[in-house]
Amino acid sequence: MREALKYRDLVRTLVARELKVRYRRSAIGFVWTMLQPLLMMLVMQLVFSAIFRVQLPNYSVYALAGILFWNFFSQSIVASMNSLRGNAQLLQKLPVPKAVFPLATVISGVVNLLFALVPLFGLLLVTGHSLAPSLFFLPVSIFLAALFTLGAGLLLSPLAVFFSDVVELIGVLLTLLMYLTPVIYPQEIVPARMRWVVHYNPIRSILEVFRDPIYLHKVPPLSHLTVSIAIAALAFGLGVWVFRRSSDRIPFYI
Amino acid sequence: MTDTELRIRLDGVSLCYRLAKQRIPSLKEYAIHWMRGALSYEKLWAVRDLSLTVRRGETLGIVGRNGAGKSTLLKVISRVLKPTTGKAEIHGRLSPILELGTGFDMELTGLENVYLNALLLGRSRREIDARVGDIVEFSGLGDFIRAPIRNYSSGMQARLGFSVATAWVPEILILDEVLAVGDASFITKCTDRIREFHDAGTTVLMVSHSAAAVRQNCSRCVWLDAGRLRADGATEEVLERYAHAGTEPDQRAVGHLHLG
Repeated sequence: MREALKYRDLVRTLVARELKVRYRRSAIGFVWTMLQPLLMMLVMQLVFSAIFRVQLPNYSVYALAGILFWNFFSQSIVASMNSLRGNAQLLQKLPVPKAVFPLATVISGVVNLLFALVPLFGLLLVTGHSLAPSLFFLPVSIFLAALFTLGAGLLLSPLAVFFSDVVELIGVLLTLLMYLTPVIYPQEIVPARMRWVVHYNPIRSILEVFRDPIYLHKVPPLSHLTVSIAIAALAFGLGVWVFRRSSDRIPFYI
Repeated sequence: MTDTELRIRLDGVSLCYRLAKQRIPSLKEYAIHWMRGALSYEKLWAVRDLSLTVRRGETLGIVGRNGAGKSTLLKVISRVLKPTTGKAEIHGRLSPILELGTGFDMELTGLENVYLNALLLGRSRREIDARVGDIVEFSGLGDFIRAPIRNYSSGMQARLGFSVATAWVPEILILDEVLAVGDASFITKCTDRIREFHDAGTTVLMVSHSAAAVRQNCSRCVWLDAGRLRADGATEEVLERYAHAGTEPDQRAVGHLHLG
């Protein structure tokens, strides 16, 4: 990680390249980043308010904020897992600190998230949900989300090198995890006996730190924030530890 | 000789590739094999108990047959692979060229690749800004520098790769069979640059199948055979012993691969 800091110009270039590839490929690539979550939100609104009859004020804002967070989290994890495999040839020929690849992936995920916030703010205005001062807390929320995601990416990316089917497996687990996290549904619809699952889900905690300032117009209470910081720091620490331990073995397996 | 002169010290270095007897590319198969207790590996020792000391300003050629462990040894010295056992001490900044064009992005232009490649070698953007003119000039690519690299021939890629990797004088320069491509005039340019580096105190390690290239660039030479150090000494002497061994019948493994 310290090495990755020394290579910060490289990280910056890798981020720029990743964004360029994403946005150059299709003319509407940039628009798509903003549009996809909006369409997803419309689908969720249809499903939850028309079919499940969920009554949540301003559900569209709640769902869009959740979707943006989840897209960032799951896409960054899958991309981190592919980042080492994608640079296999390079890792066998150059002594580059390997962590720069998952790091660049998560940073470009953050940039995408920032772009995707634009339509969210648009939605806030359109629905009259108002732009509250609590939105100024978002940089902290995004930093925590990024730290947590980077930890998960560092933890999983060596595994994806050792076993090629891990990426698919994690894809399935991420879907499961999404339904165990109140991303698109309100916590209240979870039956009481199942509520502990959602309650002890560490991702819920990180998600709420992101969504509360947007949806509830409030900065998360200090107690909750402390828990989230601890979770993010723990995930990051664990990721760094696992990555460092497996880092030397990576070139042998790709 | 003082310790500050020391560049590379390998102490009993061995490197083992663990090849699974069954190919186990997935977690599922791994789990199945593990439950059956049928996980067995074939160990391939590419480098065995190798000790070697190289000092500042030495030019070391490495010869040996295909599969003798030359490239693996260079990877250990380049800090790409960590030795399975033994100790590898490397002092000073490396410029490893294990393969020309490593890290090139085919979609980017030559110029963009100069930046990407130098960044991968650990240079900062500011350092590159200061040298980019020299790099482009040395490569001799002219206006092609603005074209995407996928349109380059392998010789042109080699020119660019060498130009970037040698744009700064490193403490240790590592070349794996990289002078094999490129035209005669460029090879002369490369050879001149290697000599300049040598004069500036750079330690040069090169693997080559061309005895002429080793003779021209290296004063010392080691001969690797099946991962072990078979000879270490003055270039002429080692090359002669190697040449004699080459005519012996132990070419079995690669004999019919000598097509060109």
